[in-house]
Amino acid sequence: MDARPDTNITPVSAAAPGSGGVGPLLELKGINKSYGPVQALTNLDFHINPNEIIALLGDNGAGKSTLIKLISGLVQPDSGTIMVNGKPTRLNSRRDSEQLGVETIYQDSALVDSMSITRNIFMGRELTNSLGFMQHRKMRQIASEVLQGVVNIRGIDSPDVLVGGLSGGQKQAVAIARAVYFNRKILLLDEPTSALSVRATEALLEYIKKLKEDGVSSVLVTHNLYHAYLVCDRFIVMSHGQKVCDVSRQETTIEELTRYVILE
Amino acid sequence: MKKLTPAFANKKMDGLEQGMIPNPEKKSWSRLLKGNSDLPMEILILFLLVQFICCLSSIIFPANFRYLSESNISVLLKAIPVLGIISLGIGLLMIAGEFDLSVGANYTFTGIVIATLVESGLSAFLAAPLGLALGVLIGLLNGFLTLRFRIPSFIATLATMLFWQGMTLLYHGATSIRFYPGDIFTNLMAGQIGLMETSFLWFVALSLVFWAVLHRHKFGNHILAVGGNKQAATAIGINPTRVKLAAFGLAGFCAALAGILAASRVGTIQPGQGAGIELRAIAACVVGGVALTGGRGTILGVFLGAGLIYTIEDILLLLRAPGFYLDIFIGILIAGAAIFNQLVRERMVR
Repeated sequence: MDARPDTNITPVSAAAPGSGGVGPLLELKGINKSYGPVQALTNLDFHINPNEIIALLGDNGAGKSTLIKLISGLVQPDSGTIMVNGKPTRLNSRRDSEQLGVETIYQDSALVDSMSITRNIFMGRELTNSLGFMQHRKMRQIASEVLQGVVNIRGIDSPDVLVGGLSGGQKQAVAIARAVYFNRKILLLDEPTSALSVRATEALLEYIKKLKEDGVSSVLVTHNLYHAYLVCDRFIVMSHGQKVCDVSRQETTIEELTRYVILE
Repeated sequence: MKKLTPAFANKKMDGLEQGMIPNPEKKSWSRLLKGNSDLPMEILILFLLVQFICCLSSIIFPANFRYLSESNISVLLKAIPVLGIISLGIGLLMIAGEFDLSVGANYTFTGIVIATLVESGLSAFLAAPLGLALGVLIGLLNGFLTLRFRIPSFIATLATMLFWQGMTLLYHGATSIRFYPGDIFTNLMAGQIGLMETSFLWFVALSLVFWAVLHRHKFGNHILAVGGNKQAATAIGINPTRVKLAAFGLAGFCAALAGILAASRVGTIQPGQGAGIELRAIAACVVGGVALTGGRGTILGVFLGAGLIYTIEDILLLLRAPGFYLDIFIGILIAGAAIFNQLVRERMVR
């Protein structure tokens, strides 16, 4: 919402100064994180390139969620560095990662059922006049355009509809539309398809692909290899807090990935 | 403000030109009934229906049902504001997802403090703001107890209700106190302009302010968000503690203001006058469509809810029904309103 002059966090950008223009948006180096005696992440390296969809695969307890929380700023690493645009950065809160341009989409997205789509999209970031009164007409117009825009949400005809009346897929589409409107550059999707119908899942994967063309990178955490294989450019398999496989789509097959996920 | 430059600006314009975007001003009746969360159609229809029947009956039976007589209208306009103003504060707090059972005690205690200040020689124009500030502080204390220690506000304010009821007796004893704030103050708070009561004008003015805050200001959007889904609001960067604390403070302010209006009208304050008014305020909110679970409700609904409760009370008085009929009817009204609202919501979410 407000600019925060007290932090040195700048939004990720593909043409970051000093990175030569093609460096990763976000890079994690040698990350360790433990919860008491449980080592959740061990010496993990991870990076997100511009215009890339990454599949994050692995069994329960592999450390995927911890990694997502780390990038969201919800947990902090015990050691290791997070590099943004080539500069070491600390992500101490959700606010910090938001500043960076990161948005997390959960299965149960951060939407309020009892509010309209317009109010949800602008929740906490309302367009207001100098007295704090909302510019309803403007917000409504933008919400209307967002619905018709990049994600083109099926079956919603008005931004006045309450979110509680939407299906699971439509809700996630609204959450993604919100992220895109506020210029997020990295989407973290934590098991987004687990509660969706087949058609809604297809639509969601389509959104992600389309967003890539507009310069939004995504990290898709999933159990479903087939979904991942449909859209992802790079596959990272994790096991017991370590990265066991990091291959691009050209270098691998679905059979090989299946072996990694099952054996590790 | 972050600059808003959507990555899909070009596509947007295409869409506009092709006329794909539905006209934002298009509204249909079914949408008003189903999707619009700002307009409480059900309570509005019920309220207008009751008023229509009352007016009609009064015209047909002018001798037996004097609803439209000058004295009756005056009584109604005098009676509604005290409960109505308390209900506005409670309503906003309930939409934010919390309760305040101590508003009745707050209303009496601040009234008595103001009366003693005036009795000791302080101008009412100074004593009243002090009383309002005290009311806000009492509300903020409720918020602090609830939010700092994470206890349900129902319990926290049950405790403070008893505390301030006791403090009232400790401070002034069990006798009533006179309130003579001077003619100017009395006329301002409880005077008449023709048929209109100034206290009712205060209620209307405050309702408009609350409407602007809840439905048009970003703070209202935060209240709806925090009450509707606290986790989502937090995830998006809204501070629920700050929003709720402000709502507690406003509830305290409303209670104190109602205390001033009631004292100005009657000229005395009874230490026991606030008992039960908190529950009637909650009832007015429920009748007006405010959800007990938070996140849903409108200021117009609360306004009409308070009006409807007094209209029914008035009807029973005009029909010379014994007092207990009132409780019976209000009970039925509350249950009916709650059931109806629940059904509407279930249909809305399919």
